[in-house]
Amino acid sequence: MRKVLRLAQREYLAAVRTKGFIIGLLLAPILMSGGLIAMVLLKDHVDTTDKRVAVLDRTGTIAPALIEAAEKRNAQEVHDEATGKKVKPAYLIEVVEPRAADPQAQRLELSERVRSGQLHAFLDIGAEVYHPVKDSPASRVDYYAKNPAMDDLRRWIAGPLNERLRQRRLADAGITPEQVKGVFDYLPVGSMGLVAQDAKTGEVIAGRRRHEAEAVVAPMLSQILMFLLFMMGAAPLLQAVMEEKSQRIAEVLLGSASPFQIMLGKLMGGVAVSFTASAVYVFGAIFALSSLALGQYIPYRILPWFFAFLLLAVLMYGSIMAALGSACSDSKDAQNLQLPAMMPVIIPMFLLGPLLKEPHSALATGLSLFPPFTPMMMLLRQSTPEGVPWWQPTLGLVGVFLFTIAAVWLSGRVFRVGILMQGKLPKFSELLRWAIRG
Amino acid sequence: MKGINATNAVELETVTKTFGKTAAVADLSLAVPAGSIYGFIGPNGSGKTTTLRMIMGIFYPDRGSVCVLGEPVRQANLDRVGYLPEERGLYKRMKVREILRFYGELKAGHSVRREVDLWLEKLGLAEHGNKKIEALSKGMSQKVQFIATVVAQPQLLVLDEPFSGLDPVNAEAIRSAILELRRQGTTVILSTHDMNVAETLCDFIFMIFQGRKVLDGTLTAIQDQYGSDTVRVRTEDGAGALEGLAGVEAVRDLGQRQELRLTRGTDPQDVLCAILSRTRVRSFELAKPSLHDIFVRIARPADQEDDHA
Repeated sequence: MRKVLRLAQREYLAAVRTKGFIIGLLLAPILMSGGLIAMVLLKDHVDTTDKRVAVLDRTGTIAPALIEAAEKRNAQEVHDEATGKKVKPAYLIEVVEPRAADPQAQRLELSERVRSGQLHAFLDIGAEVYHPVKDSPASRVDYYAKNPAMDDLRRWIAGPLNERLRQRRLADAGITPEQVKGVFDYLPVGSMGLVAQDAKTGEVIAGRRRHEAEAVVAPMLSQILMFLLFMMGAAPLLQAVMEEKSQRIAEVLLGSASPFQIMLGKLMGGVAVSFTASAVYVFGAIFALSSLALGQYIPYRILPWFFAFLLLAVLMYGSIMAALGSACSDSKDAQNLQLPAMMPVIIPMFLLGPLLKEPHSALATGLSLFPPFTPMMMLLRQSTPEGVPWWQPTLGLVGVFLFTIAAVWLSGRVFRVGILMQGKLPKFSELLRWAIRG
Repeated sequence: MKGINATNAVELETVTKTFGKTAAVADLSLAVPAGSIYGFIGPNGSGKTTTLRMIMGIFYPDRGSVCVLGEPVRQANLDRVGYLPEERGLYKRMKVREILRFYGELKAGHSVRREVDLWLEKLGLAEHGNKKIEALSKGMSQKVQFIATVVAQPQLLVLDEPFSGLDPVNAEAIRSAILELRRQGTTVILSTHDMNVAETLCDFIFMIFQGRKVLDGTLTAIQDQYGSDTVRVRTEDGAGALEGLAGVEAVRDLGQRQELRLTRGTDPQDVLCAILSRTRVRSFELAKPSLHDIFVRIARPADQEDDHA
């Protein structure tokens, strides 16, 4: 055990002392929440150049409403009230008389004006939009721009346009706006957790209002965090073992410790690395959320599970990585094996979307009980607001525990043979033979 | 002759190790007396490294037994053995002192801070202690590797080619370190391709060829097996004058001097007369065959390779 600890200590220090680890430690959460931080940072860096949009109004009655709405918006939103600084672009509507003769030629002309920068976009309002007929081109409103799909102006203009259509349709039906005041008010449906009863006091506990982010953020982060810690603690073992083998360090170590001790030392080093990183992240997140008064959203109940799964995951994946590393003779071999070796953690990442949507489906339950996927998938499902029945993580943990023992034992046997083997990368069947026969 | 010390540091008993269908080592028995320097020689691929690895418990023999320091090979007694593999391995990004402490403590189980500083001083590396391995010259990292092997004060040293790639100054430093350790009672097993090292440094020489033991004993005992069948001669006309001499089995041209191997029963006086009839002789010496010559005699028929010899 003394040797295992000494080997683990070296492994740990070699990993955490590198600049890469420290940069990775800081960079990973930045990348993870990159979108959010970028949004906050870039919020004030909006392009404030005015945007001119041409409107081909084939009804002849909608454009004035758009101009009015644009002027109102320009007066209210473009400049910061307090500082007077321009914070948003003004929207300028230019009405263009539609030519009945050749609409396509006119669209081309306007497109050229967009290309040359005179216009930001142009809007083509069909003649029959007030009372649209299905599949009729005249019942469409089309927005033409260089990048129309991601365009704030397109999203904005739909508001006043539809408001105008609604007013006109009401008027056509002989209804005055006063008569229907409040008719179009929209009410959201609140998301509430279930009402429960305290087993001891019998007190009924009201369901808590659940935030949409709660159903997504915590489960997503738990899985991404597990992936990240795998990348820090287990994945580097493949490269590290390959290097020790190709640089002949392995034989020096073998003169001092058994192959199993060497592998175990490396695994424990990996566990220590990922626990260091996870401690930084978990306690950092608790501190950050608490100081933002969001402490109620921290799923404390899954923290012990998180660390238990993390420990086993690093041992399980790490041992496989070390075994594969021992089979490689150079970095090319290692690169070839890297991707297949990472499949157990990549697949859950691909399934992140469906899992978040339906964390309790039979498929999600089944996959999360498959040991290689359990650490990531079970944790994700546990992090959902309603959690999972207690037996599932328990069964999952037992499964992972047994699988980990098998993985470490078999990998130890592969490691023992592989570490002294030189030459070409062994076939999968050979690796299996080493694992079974030792 | 193996009576220097009553106990043996290493004992191999009819050891066989095969890889696939090839027997790397076959029926090998060997006893290395404690406190001696034992030289392993043999052509490349003859089984030296496999034997050393079995002594280190890295390979297990298929048959036979290996005892190290009085016990079957186990991790516990291997902690008293220092091992320098043929291919050197050091973590390039670690500092000299760190790596030496790591290797030392792995074996010794306690801090070896003092020993590390002592050895760095002894081999002239004291001022390089805080450098990374990647910043060292080849000779320096060889010396670091040697220190890593001896820093835990092992009772047995297993050195696979300890002098390869070293310049004469560094080689001399390692040679004196080995001799000093032997004086302190350390047993040393070293493999070498340098016959001069084997002849001058080793108490016993063991030669393995195609997995089998072909020589084992002191240099004198080995040479006695071959008798005084070698003539070292220096003539005015060099090797050209020695061609086709009766009773001469082989001529080894060393440039300024030639070594003649006589066929069994040849009288050296007859050979001298024959040479004198051809050229003027400057020196003529009757000698036992050198280790190099013996090595080549054994290994040549199957293996022409004697570049390192």
